[in-house]
Amino acid sequence: MKKILEIGLGIVTSVGGFLEIGSITTAAQAGASFGFQLGWSIVLGTLCIAFLVEMSGRFSAVSKQTIPDAMRERFGANFFAVPLFVMLGVSLLVLAAEIGGVAVAVEMATGISFPIWALPVALLSWALLWKTTFSTIENGVSLLGLVTIAFAVGVVKLHPDYGAVARGFIPTLPSQDKSKYWFIAVSVLGASISPYLYYFYSSGAIEEKWDESYIGTNRAIAAIGMGFGGFLSIAVLILAAVLFHPRGISVEHYQQLPELLSGVFGRKGFWLVIASLAIACLGATLEIALSLAYLVAQGFGWNWGEDLAPRDDARFALTYTMLVLAGSLFALFHADPLKLTQLSMALTATSLPIGTFPFLILMNDTKYLGKHTNGHIGNAVVMFISVLSGVLGLVSIPLELIGGG
Amino acid sequence: MKINLISEVLDKQLRDSKGRQAGRIDGIVLELRDGKPPRVAYAEVGPTTLLSRFSRRLARWYSRHDRKLGEGRGVAFRVPWSRLSPDGPGFTMDIDGESTPIFALEDWLRRHVVEHIPGGG
Repeated sequence: MKKILEIGLGIVTSVGGFLEIGSITTAAQAGASFGFQLGWSIVLGTLCIAFLVEMSGRFSAVSKQTIPDAMRERFGANFFAVPLFVMLGVSLLVLAAEIGGVAVAVEMATGISFPIWALPVALLSWALLWKTTFSTIENGVSLLGLVTIAFAVGVVKLHPDYGAVARGFIPTLPSQDKSKYWFIAVSVLGASISPYLYYFYSSGAIEEKWDESYIGTNRAIAAIGMGFGGFLSIAVLILAAVLFHPRGISVEHYQQLPELLSGVFGRKGFWLVIASLAIACLGATLEIALSLAYLVAQGFGWNWGEDLAPRDDARFALTYTMLVLAGSLFALFHADPLKLTQLSMALTATSLPIGTFPFLILMNDTKYLGKHTNGHIGNAVVMFISVLSGVLGLVSIPLELIGGG
Repeated sequence: MKINLISEVLDKQLRDSKGRQAGRIDGIVLELRDGKPPRVAYAEVGPTTLLSRFSRRLARWYSRHDRKLGEGRGVAFRVPWSRLSPDGPGFTMDIDGESTPIFALEDWLRRHVVEHIPGGG
């Protein structure tokens, strides 16, 4: 019974925590610009993150170690420095985009320009990290994040052509705007396969003292939770494809996002999008800041733990403090949150192999996993999607930046 | 007992006698003896040793600042090999970390920053 409750809670938090600024924006852009045609990129991204989350939970449950911990001892400090700095750099941009996302949501609610809200949002995020425990963050914010289910309800009310939606799950080549098509595809992949998510999950398994008996629970949470999460991203794509695409509207500003639901629910829809954006981005801000602090603390062997008081892990607590502050500076100095989101998602996808390849080596090492090492399917899926993301990113980012196509 | 120093000792998590995470084994010191095989003398812990694995100049620069944290800082802390024992995936030393300079930066940050922030005391 306890396990069933844990699976239920795990799925709810995965669903509630799946959507954030990256997945909402990129799915909306995909739907607005290309109708249902980019549905496949969300399916691939969700498949890959489901496998990665399952692997990270299994890794920590069996080895009792976190990924950064094992990566440093297995590959040495000189190698570990590469994923450490790449992840810190890219995820700091994602963190900045999420803080910008909360600030933009408050701007839309109050009419007061988003840079004003950067520091208050940072202060709120920091206070939650400073004062609360891991489960409060994981369960509390993710439960509130269930408001994002409104996107799925919106789709049901719209009655889209489900046959056309399904055809979008098969990859096809674009007939026009090739560079934009691939750039959005890469951004969607980056938004779905956020490395901070599985680092966070791995540390969570240690914080919650998982052991081998959790392997089944972990598998159910990863498959169902991430599956439903991906379903919500697809819902955003469908809404944009039905409401924006036929009218030739592309998503250029955040202010367009409320139309995704106000077209279905009226004024209530406007507030649902704002609440979804604010809560989802706040949740992601907390998870990214914690995830990066875990990465640094575990890499250097410091005392760490969200359940410890800040005075007992001063370096860990000050690391997330500095990260939240640094992340808020982008919005404070008027960095366009939409452009920042697009760029950070594309960079996440491009840099994916740097983190996933060493992780796959760990996942196949019997010293850590005994008889629970990866199967061929898991290895092949993660390897294929990581390489695809990396290659597409390397090709499409320069093309998008020079405006080719 | 045979042990591979690179894959089974270097970069492993180190805990002190009270079970606290006390950094990682950043370096290993061998003692060369006349007419006898070399002997593992110490495990080194500290940012100076870690940084010297990337750049000696960077390590020297860091060391000059680290020295200000108190006695024993600015150089790596050496744990005699005889005081280390394998413990799960890492090693434990039979020394209280508080009696070493290992926690100097953590202590300094706690006293000078964290305890001055509401909710940090």
